Amino acid sequence: MRSLFPPVDWSLFFGELVSGLTLGSIYALIALGYTMVYGILKLLNFAHGDVYMVGAFIAFFVLQWLGGPISPAVTGWLAIAIMFAVAMLGCGALGVGIERFAYRPLRNAPRIAPLISALGVSIFLQNSALLLWGPQFRDYNTFDLIGVKSYSIGKNFFISNIQILTIAASIGLMIVLTLLVSRTRAGKAMRATSFDREAAEMMGISVDRVISFTFFVGSALAAAGGVMFGIVFGQIFSLMGFTAGLKGFTAAVVGGIGSIPGAMLGGFLIGLTEAFSTGYLPGGSTYANLYVFALLIAMFLIRPSGLLGSPVIRKV
Amino acid sequence: MPDGQLGGPGLPEGAPELPDAVDRPRVGTDEWVAQVEERREAGKGLTGLVARGWERVPAPGRLLLLLGPFAVFPFITNEGNLFRYGLITLIYALLALGLNIVVGFAGLLDLGYVAFFGFGAYLYGIMASGHSGHHLQAEIAIPIVVVASALVGLLLGLTSWRLLGDYLAIVTLFFLQAFVIFVNNANGGPSDFSYPFVGRVDLTGGANGLDRIDPLNFFGFKISTTEGYYFYTLIALALVMTMLYFVNSSRTGRAWRALREDPLAAEAMSTPVNRLKLLAFMFGAATAGFTGTIFGAVQSGAFPGDYDVGLLITIYAIVILGGLGSLGGVVIGALIVNGAPELLRSSANARFLFYGVLVLALLVAMRPWYRPLVVLVGTIAFGFAVHAIVGAAWSRGTAGHIEGGGALGRGLEHWVLLPTHPGRIAGWAYFGLIVAALALTMVRGWWRVLVLIPTLYLASFVWENKLVEQVSGATRLILLGALLVVIMNARPSGIFGTARVEVA
Amino acid sequence: MRKVVVAAALAAAVAVLATAAWGAAKAPKKASSPSNGGSALIKCGKTRLIGLMAPFTGPAASIGINQVHWANFYKNRYNKTHKKKIKFVNEDTMLGASNGTAEAVKGAQALGSNGSVLGVVGPAGSNEVKAVTGALKGSGLGFVSGSATNTTLTTDRTRTGFFFRTVPPDSSQSKSVSAYMVNTLKVKRVYIVDDQEAYSIGLADEVQAQLNAKGVRVSRDGVSQSQSDFSAIINKIPRNTQLVYLPWQLPPKGKAFGQQMKTLGRGGIKLMGSDGLFDPLFSGLGNHVYDSFFPVNPSDARVAAFKKSHGGKSELFGAPSYVAAQVVTGAIDRACKDGKATRAEVRRQIKRTSIAVKTSLLGLPVKFDRGGDMVKRPFGIYHSVKGIFVRVA
Repeated sequence: MRSLFPPVDWSLFFGELVSGLTLGSIYALIALGYTMVYGILKLLNFAHGDVYMVGAFIAFFVLQWLGGPISPAVTGWLAIAIMFAVAMLGCGALGVGIERFAYRPLRNAPRIAPLISALGVSIFLQNSALLLWGPQFRDYNTFDLIGVKSYSIGKNFFISNIQILTIAASIGLMIVLTLLVSRTRAGKAMRATSFDREAAEMMGISVDRVISFTFFVGSALAAAGGVMFGIVFGQIFSLMGFTAGLKGFTAAVVGGIGSIPGAMLGGFLIGLTEAFSTGYLPGGSTYANLYVFALLIAMFLIRPSGLLGSPVIRKV
Repeated sequence: MPDGQLGGPGLPEGAPELPDAVDRPRVGTDEWVAQVEERREAGKGLTGLVARGWERVPAPGRLLLLLGPFAVFPFITNEGNLFRYGLITLIYALLALGLNIVVGFAGLLDLGYVAFFGFGAYLYGIMASGHSGHHLQAEIAIPIVVVASALVGLLLGLTSWRLLGDYLAIVTLFFLQAFVIFVNNANGGPSDFSYPFVGRVDLTGGANGLDRIDPLNFFGFKISTTEGYYFYTLIALALVMTMLYFVNSSRTGRAWRALREDPLAAEAMSTPVNRLKLLAFMFGAATAGFTGTIFGAVQSGAFPGDYDVGLLITIYAIVILGGLGSLGGVVIGALIVNGAPELLRSSANARFLFYGVLVLALLVAMRPWYRPLVVLVGTIAFGFAVHAIVGAAWSRGTAGHIEGGGALGRGLEHWVLLPTHPGRIAGWAYFGLIVAALALTMVRGWWRVLVLIPTLYLASFVWENKLVEQVSGATRLILLGALLVVIMNARPSGIFGTARVEVA
Repeated sequence: MRKVVVAAALAAAVAVLATAAWGAAKAPKKASSPSNGGSALIKCGKTRLIGLMAPFTGPAASIGINQVHWANFYKNRYNKTHKKKIKFVNEDTMLGASNGTAEAVKGAQALGSNGSVLGVVGPAGSNEVKAVTGALKGSGLGFVSGSATNTTLTTDRTRTGFFFRTVPPDSSQSKSVSAYMVNTLKVKRVYIVDDQEAYSIGLADEVQAQLNAKGVRVSRDGVSQSQSDFSAIINKIPRNTQLVYLPWQLPPKGKAFGQQMKTLGRGGIKLMGSDGLFDPLFSGLGNHVYDSFFPVNPSDARVAAFKKSHGGKSELFGAPSYVAAQVVTGAIDRACKDGKATRAEVRRQIKRTSIAVKTSLLGLPVKFDRGGDMVKRPFGIYHSVKGIFVRVA
């Protein structure tokens, strides 16, 4: 007799869980940048996904400069640390530059103007990458660099060292960010600016500096996401920013835009949705993006302000 | 980058920049109202003359002036050029008109717009193609497509009741993605859904596309030549423009503008905001669907990759360049956005266009008149000097050749550095160029002239060694992206736009 | 400032119009209208023009450029030994780019209205072939593609007599592949993952149908080309699967898939790729990797010569475009015997092409059947041994 409930395929379940968390932690890092910028400027920074792409490329070139994955000049893990550091600093500077030249002059303009300017920056970055680095895929060759190991707990639970690294590093970065925003003076200034820019300025906060700082932190986090993506999945290419940016933004919206814990939650939620819909739903991997879309629509219908967001009050 | 607009509006040319002056929130100052003086002044000089002359021409005359040259074009060109420069421009213009209703008139940021274009092409293909086996006459199929597109537009428009601004943008963008995924899979194959009642049917041909679409066939009269499609599209464009002109000046048009300028105030004045939003979405979708039938028939096929974000960006660039809310601007925008990259396809043309626009921009943008001359002469002298020095010190640096450049190319070989293997150097030079261009926006007066000279030389170096390789691919999109940023900084409502569009 | 922008824009518009008009005035007028179907007499002259449609730029440029290299390689060899030269009119189709097939149609229109073009090599993608059919047929041009493999291109009779190809269609590949899986590898459970593109889905569908017919249990899934994270899909592949079939185009993706399979404890399952994955990147995964590849003779002296002049890379994916150029040039030569030719004549000569095994780069004779496919078109099956593909069937 067949049982009413078929036996649970734990191997599939844990597999999708781990891959969902890995992907989700990358989405979360991107979402953080979106949410921070949106919180302060009310600007949808379309170029954010491309900053993430640039981060992945910077790390790739740093790796080449260190002697390539097969015979790096330093040990594998140190090489990865250097890649992270350079990519984050580089992209942080890039973010500040973008803000300074493409958004700041438009701060008092109608809101569609910076949005389109952001679209322009995105196209510009994407195609500059295409021009300079070509359309082909670049490979981090993580296997040669740090020797990927797969650990298993029991029969059904597999996790690799790079997946552990990704999840742990992104959670670590998020803790640092939370502390930064809630405990430091800079964080206080950010919160104040986000709450009311004019009032903050009257209180003697240099709004420009705060916004630059926000862009720096957000872009650095995106770069970290890009490097992680390169390490886990191997492949980077010049058009990778668009889809990732879209997912990151969705994560930010689902979590409640402007809310930092919300962005993390949203990122993990989107990652898990993708992994589990691929694993369990009909036509899963083909339609994974549609399922994410459905989640977004559902969120708008039930809670337009997102999971952890506060309702928006429109002022006249 | 032409001029120091980054300094912000209202700041006189050449004045020292106040610290933070631009960025300080102007409490209680309305940007639009504050600029009123400047806008009144706009009528000076040659451009002002043209602008005022344009205003004085009655509306039908303006239409004639705008589309007249298009009507003559087929008689002076061959079929290939007619297709590339003419027909595609007209199709883009028609498409952009529809987007202009949604974004320009009603101020709704719809990023799913090209899905309707694809919807039109696919639906027409389903009703009339060798692929589906049905062969409906166009006079029956096109009204069906238009109505169906409007209905789908209505459905998407419903989301705009609850969602504002950026949220609406992201939902519509996902709608586009969903559309592409759908047409990519709806072939009745293993990865397709099973539909209620009919089961698995091949609707779109999936990734292989829906091919063998019938040519447009009205009452047995078949359009079979490029010229035929060209005139058909031109007439459609004229009709749609006329219609929109009247809609724009009607009650609905005025209500749309109210909605665009301030949705909250409009609502408070008991404007039926929700109904207006739906109407805008429907008008836009219907126009796009209609254009889709033309494109499907011209191409005799519809393929999933044709209706993706790339096209969306192109159409947005047209609308923004032309000016949000401006009907004539759309045609000019389409001409520039489609025509310029087509010219860029051949590197000889591209070279003329590049240096031509550079010199023109310099002449128009710099005041007083002697400054651009100083810059031009300075740049030319600078180039020969650099060429001589490098040629003496590092002979490989000047050893390259320009292939098929004609007289201009041969002249440039003595002026611009052409290393034999420019790869890496050109990459760094590209970075350098971006930095230099950004630096330009931060300096003023004679300093700018000084910085401009090496920047221009660097620009031509990068152009000849890097950008020219991919004129039809990455380069034109890079230019498009940079153009969007510059235009937004210089004139947020587009070139011919008068609207103050606010998404909130 | 705003005046300046308006002025600059107007100037740009005027420049575009002026250059377009100037270019139009220079271009030959109405060389052939659709009605004459390519019957206009064209003087052959010293230089014969052939259209070359390929993705010079765009997302597929990395493999498209192989075709360009091979076609030009043929041109250079031909021009060295012949008095009458050939010249390519390049049209970039930007396969996979944002504007979709529109770029290809623009190129086809331009070639059609260039009165001196006698035949066309390309375009690369199957959807591009479908999209340009109208334009090329209308102007009477015959076109020979070196990579469009969709089976229906030659069977739906829309382009018979106009379209020819120097690669075997998907139906040939799927036959060889499924036969090898069943007869030699004796697999019972196969997992197929397509990449959502026309080429991949077409091939996957045919292989799936043939395996099903032979009683093999087949599961099917898809990934998008822009995806690099395959872990979610790999988790779904049952551990007792014997073979995973990847009809993909991008070797780096194939490599990433194989590596992620290893990480997720599925390194033992056999992997089989299609001609798009015939690359050291894919074969380097290990001895469990198989692949299929269109006929080409790697020991031909021309391959060695190509390698020498292209930095040691053989870029075999572009080799059929060499043959395509050879076919078109040969047809023009024959049609031009009397110093004049029509496009229709060139088409008829393409159809009569007969390249002997000895001079064929493909290692088999090139002759076309009624639909435009090569008469002989077996597919080779390869097995990776120490990172190098070795032919096994």
